[in-house]
Amino acid sequence: MPADAAAARSLGSGPRLGRLASTAGLAVLWLLLLVFVIYPLVMLLLRAFETDGHVRLAPLIATITNSNTLRALRNSLELALLVGVAGTLIGLMFALAAERANLGRRAAKLIDLATLLPLISPPFTTSIAFVFSFGPRGLITYDLLGLKNVQVYGLTSTFAAETITYFPIAYLALRPMLASISSSFEEASFSLGGSRWHAFRTVTLPLIRPALANAFLLLFGFSLADFATPLILSGSDFSVLPTEAYLQITGMFDLQGGAILSLLLLVPAGLVYYAQERFIGDRSYVTVTGKAATASRRDTVSMTARILLIFGCVAMTVLIVYFYLLLFYASIVMAFGANSTLTLEHYHVIFTEGLPAIEDTLIIALIGMPLGGLYGIIVGYLVGRTRIRGRRAMEVISMLNYALPGTIVGIAYLLAFNDKPLELTGTATILIACYVFRYSPTGIRTTIALLQQIDRSMEEASASLGASNLTTFRRVMLPLILPAFFAGLGVVFIRSMTAISATIFLVSINWTLITVKILENMTEVALGPAAAFSVFVIAVVLVVTSLLNLALKRLTAPTLRVDSIGA
Amino acid sequence: MGLSAVFHHERRGDVTAVEALDLDIQPGEFLTLLGPSGCGKTTTLRMIAGFQPPSAGRILFGAEDVTDLAANQRDIGFVFQNYALFPHLSVFENVAYGLRVKRRNAAEIGARVAEGLLQVGLQGMGDRMIAELSGGQQQRVALARAIAVKPRVLLFDEPLSNLDAQLRVQMRTEIARLQAELAITTIYVTHDQEEAMAVSHRIAIMQGGRIAQVGTAEDLYQRPASHFVAGFLGSTNMVRATVAGAESGAVILDVAGFRWQLATAQEFAVGQTVEAVVRPESLAFAAAGHGLDGVVESRVYLGAKAEYVVRCNGQTMQVVQANPVSGRLYAVGEAVCLQLPPAGVQLLRIDG
Repeated sequence: MPADAAAARSLGSGPRLGRLASTAGLAVLWLLLLVFVIYPLVMLLLRAFETDGHVRLAPLIATITNSNTLRALRNSLELALLVGVAGTLIGLMFALAAERANLGRRAAKLIDLATLLPLISPPFTTSIAFVFSFGPRGLITYDLLGLKNVQVYGLTSTFAAETITYFPIAYLALRPMLASISSSFEEASFSLGGSRWHAFRTVTLPLIRPALANAFLLLFGFSLADFATPLILSGSDFSVLPTEAYLQITGMFDLQGGAILSLLLLVPAGLVYYAQERFIGDRSYVTVTGKAATASRRDTVSMTARILLIFGCVAMTVLIVYFYLLLFYASIVMAFGANSTLTLEHYHVIFTEGLPAIEDTLIIALIGMPLGGLYGIIVGYLVGRTRIRGRRAMEVISMLNYALPGTIVGIAYLLAFNDKPLELTGTATILIACYVFRYSPTGIRTTIALLQQIDRSMEEASASLGASNLTTFRRVMLPLILPAFFAGLGVVFIRSMTAISATIFLVSINWTLITVKILENMTEVALGPAAAFSVFVIAVVLVVTSLLNLALKRLTAPTLRVDSIGA
Repeated sequence: MGLSAVFHHERRGDVTAVEALDLDIQPGEFLTLLGPSGCGKTTTLRMIAGFQPPSAGRILFGAEDVTDLAANQRDIGFVFQNYALFPHLSVFENVAYGLRVKRRNAAEIGARVAEGLLQVGLQGMGDRMIAELSGGQQQRVALARAIAVKPRVLLFDEPLSNLDAQLRVQMRTEIARLQAELAITTIYVTHDQEEAMAVSHRIAIMQGGRIAQVGTAEDLYQRPASHFVAGFLGSTNMVRATVAGAESGAVILDVAGFRWQLATAQEFAVGQTVEAVVRPESLAFAAAGHGLDGVVESRVYLGAKAEYVVRCNGQTMQVVQANPVSGRLYAVGEAVCLQLPPAGVQLLRIDG
């Protein structure tokens, strides 16, 4: 309704100065989006197709028809498919256990914690633990089974590590859906004479099918874009596209080849995005998460199924806890697998030699965090509440860097900011910008979702009582979207501490990151410091997110409290 | 030129929600906009509030033209259908909101909020959070918040539609009492005719974006200007008749062969077809030959009254028999005779 547009305008006509300021602010926002989202992508496309000032398809064709490329593409797809299926199934198992198996409160909490760990860890934590456990000197392979010269690298371990890393995403996508389906449906089916299994198969499963598809596509996308796990675990025989692109650029200094390889990722990534929009879209929409579950019974599975579910979840949780304990153990012994004398040497190393990386990472994360949080609620408010021109375009553009695989974004930034007019390579700015524009969309999405729950009459009520637009925003809207702001802060901070796929292309001698240091340590087989760095990152992330949660609780009214930080 | 609101609809083109509406409301008056859903009553209210600009026409508060003023500059109090209370603020802070925006000092705010809460019967509840209140209490907070700023105009948008029946009756009495006390010009929107009749000084019945009739509840009920108004306010029998004779102060009507003498100030020509608005409670059972003959089709006994549907010559008539204890009850299938009232019936001309 265009009348709404006029209404929004007439709600409160601020002074002319205010309007001027908001126009200027909007212009700055658009400029930032152009510089940090559109421009790098245009540069990437130009670089991929341009040779000596002409558009040439020869490099593209050469890359596509290259048997190495084709194998990497096939490997990427195969890996993503496997991770998608396995991760969704494990996620479903956890979601069922949490929502239907009548777990005690403490057990449910433990499951939540176990699934949270992989989400807040550096991306290759599981990979490192995998090497510790199953590598040539691994705890299980070498110490326990006595196997010599075990080959840990390849599809199997990459697949297993990615599944453990990403299944919590499927769990988070499936659980609210299960919670929103009242178990009275299952009770109804059961009361009509069907078995528990029959009820699950004919009632529950069809209802959560969209959520299952969504979870699969999410995992497929994450695995496709995952850079860190294959870099450590895939080895030389099992190459995937993101690592190929990285090696092309850092090993062979072939920027054009790297650009083309990264763009190849765009094809399956685009298809996944299309499938999500086209086939799932609104159907996986969950209205009020969690609420339905409080009223309904949670023990609608048979005894056998319950035991199986609990056993599966406990096994998985034990595995995750084992991996993290192993990581911690590796950080406090002299040499993992060889000398198990306890020592703080590795921590000493990371706080002396590794100190610059720690300082740089913290500075970047702490600067990026407020910027990203602010950017998230501003864009979310503009897109979700106002009627400004081009808000749809703004929404799509603001999501781009988030939706694209990190490798693409990293290479695009590298190409865009290497030369004049915007020479930012080697600065902290480029790293902060990369994190802010890549990881704020969570804040944007949360803001939009919260705004959808706030009726427009709230603003009208404020206006009718004499408040200007600015006052209404400050006194009514801002407090109500505060949880989204904190969610934005949390995600940007966590990712600034842990992400690597895009920023590995952007680090320099002046500004480097802990994650890059961990990777270097792994390639130099300095396993101790790598483990110590990982433990340090996890600890920092846990402390900071706890502080953010605490601050959020202090700042919001008790009735509005939402647990929105963490994932 | 009256007030109009035209909306653009993607598929249906321009849709006129309110058309050339002209309404004059007296200072301190309680006026209700009453009509079926989609009649434009809420749109009219939102234009008066300033949430929506009219496509044509002016809105005046007293002598001041407020058409181009934004809602926050109109000095109004608005009570929303869903209350629109701020969930992050306490009861006190919700009521104080408008005063804080206007930068009143703390002492005044404290006094005005306490007064407002007292007026709606929520004294001592200032520290509660909104979520801790019942629906009726939330409604009271919304009311207190609107009157705390001492607005020039008080606007209600179906404020009672979320409450249960009993609470609705209680709240509408309180709203009417409060309005009389404060003497703030009030415009109230509802689709509930009983509610409208209970609270208002005058009612404006709306139909299809236009005002069908404005008047007191008695005016509208006893002298409806159109078929729509007659049918919308209360239940009624529309009895078709031909004017068989006319003299000053009375007409003789022919109702399917029965001659009905009716005292009326309205004037008609002999031979004209009219519709008589005969209310169910104005019909009475009589001895044969004194009215319309019919057969009882159904009966609902409700204690204080009995409701009948009687079929007379192909027309069904609703009849309400008050205090059935003193009379006799008629059975379904029984032949009866309905006596038409000798006066107090509105006659509507039928054109063509």
